[in-house]
Amino acid sequence: MALLELSGLTKRFGGLVACNEVNLFVDEGEIVGLIGPNGAGKTTLFNCTTGYYRPDGGTITFEGQNITGWPPDKVSHRGLARTFQVVRTFKEMTVLENVMIGSYCRVASTEDARKEALRVLEFTGLLGKKDALGAGLTVADKKRLEMARALATKPRLIMLDEAMAGLTQREVAEAIVMVKAIRDQGITVFLVEHVMEAIMPISDRVIVLNYGEKIAEGTPAEVCANEEVVKAYLGEDYRA
Amino acid sequence: MRVGRLTVAPQVAVLVLILVALVIYPWLFTRSFPVHLMIVIFIYAGVATGWNILGGYAGQVSLGHAVYFGLGAYASTVLSTKWGITPWLGMFVGGAIAVLISLLIGYPCFKLGGRYFSIATLVLGEVMATIFLNWRWVGGAVGVFIPMVEESFLAMQFHSSKIPYYYIALVFLIVSVAINYLVDKSQFGYYLRAIKGDPVAAHSLGINLTKYKLMAMSVSAFLGAIGGTLYGNYVMYIDPTTVMYNTQSTLIMLFAAFGGMGSLFGPTLGTFVLYPMGELTRAYLGGGGRAVNLIIYGALVLIVALYQPGGLVAWFRQLTRKRG
Repeated sequence: MALLELSGLTKRFGGLVACNEVNLFVDEGEIVGLIGPNGAGKTTLFNCTTGYYRPDGGTITFEGQNITGWPPDKVSHRGLARTFQVVRTFKEMTVLENVMIGSYCRVASTEDARKEALRVLEFTGLLGKKDALGAGLTVADKKRLEMARALATKPRLIMLDEAMAGLTQREVAEAIVMVKAIRDQGITVFLVEHVMEAIMPISDRVIVLNYGEKIAEGTPAEVCANEEVVKAYLGEDYRA
Repeated sequence: MRVGRLTVAPQVAVLVLILVALVIYPWLFTRSFPVHLMIVIFIYAGVATGWNILGGYAGQVSLGHAVYFGLGAYASTVLSTKWGITPWLGMFVGGAIAVLISLLIGYPCFKLGGRYFSIATLVLGEVMATIFLNWRWVGGAVGVFIPMVEESFLAMQFHSSKIPYYYIALVFLIVSVAINYLVDKSQFGYYLRAIKGDPVAAHSLGINLTKYKLMAMSVSAFLGAIGGTLYGNYVMYIDPTTVMYNTQSTLIMLFAAFGGMGSLFGPTLGTFVLYPMGELTRAYLGGGGRAVNLIIYGALVLIVALYQPGGLVAWFRQLTRKRG
């Protein structure tokens, strides 16, 4: 049984079909990449899965339970966390407080929430900045904080929406290490990414969306060799 | 700071000193006006502190808090004048009604988002004031006089001295600030600040937005109603224009915003500075100066909003940081 399974997922905005009958699954322990051109429906798919949009058709199954139409807070309690493409840092809170909001998902006492947050901050390498205000962080640190906050909710599956966009090459390299470390903690990773240098080496499987439809799926090498994918998205440089 | 062998944080020491000063105040300033001024300040500060839990922490700006204030005043007054029920009980009946009304208005409006909520509370204020102005059974536009009975704690009536009212109002303010303190340090407070900071992110981290906003609104409305009961019993006369009008709603919000929204002592500080200022202008300008206090309040709040949106508290913090 797959950890996450979408079947026939459809989402329309007026006449525009953002996701059209998409079927996909993510197995436990995998790192799965979701790629595709701008407007392909990647973020819409994430939003449907995490409860921000109600899909017009299809079902979302998580650990065997149908979670279609659940609100985001319930999805999060169920063990499915996410980050946002445009970071949503709590600007007036410190880094530690930002992460505590996440850890309160599992514990009610402030003392326990702080302990858990500190543990996650150490894991994500943000411990040294725990007292800095969210507003003052660099883009790379904000993205990292976004991940830390999501991890603090103790998810089984974390969905990262362009966690590496806008980062320098060195920061991308650090983020890759981070994603692998998350998986090594036993958390499954499902990520949307435009940075091919990042997604290709770490993904076990890559799924390609175009105009709301799944056009390819396979190992990074298979996807790079796919004619349709090259034409739609990767461009001639990526032809294997 | 060290007291004997005990190390005390300077903030705690200052707090204790202020508290001691407030306790001995009515014995130092024995004339009627200074005591009266403080009683009203305590009540407004307590209500503004309650407003702050919803407006300052959760970021849901209520423009109709006089409704809860008025409901508290009316509930206890009507219960005591019609059925002889002690205001100490009526206070909680008023609180319960205020919570109920707040939930009824909050539940549909919170689904819409911040601005709509504010507009809805504004409308609620107008509607409730109009209802009470025309509702004969509760006195209509004439209002209700609380009949004088023999002085007793149970009836919350004290005629020979204002000092009992002073301490009752002070206790109310302390309780209100204590509740705010507990909120501030708990998961509840963190969640409210998260909702204010970014509701979308808060939602993704497992926070049920509507539930926590409604909880904040209940606490806020309840404290408003308690303040209303105390105020009504203190002045012994209530009508919609003195306890349930937009003017009171605006005052409550201004006090909190001026002192510092989302901070523990901001609303109290704001009331202590702004309220006497309004009283002084009224005293100097006499009957011709009606509403001049509101102009002055408006100007001051404008200055705060432009130069230090965090209010007086944030400004103080800045000063102490520069020096220290």
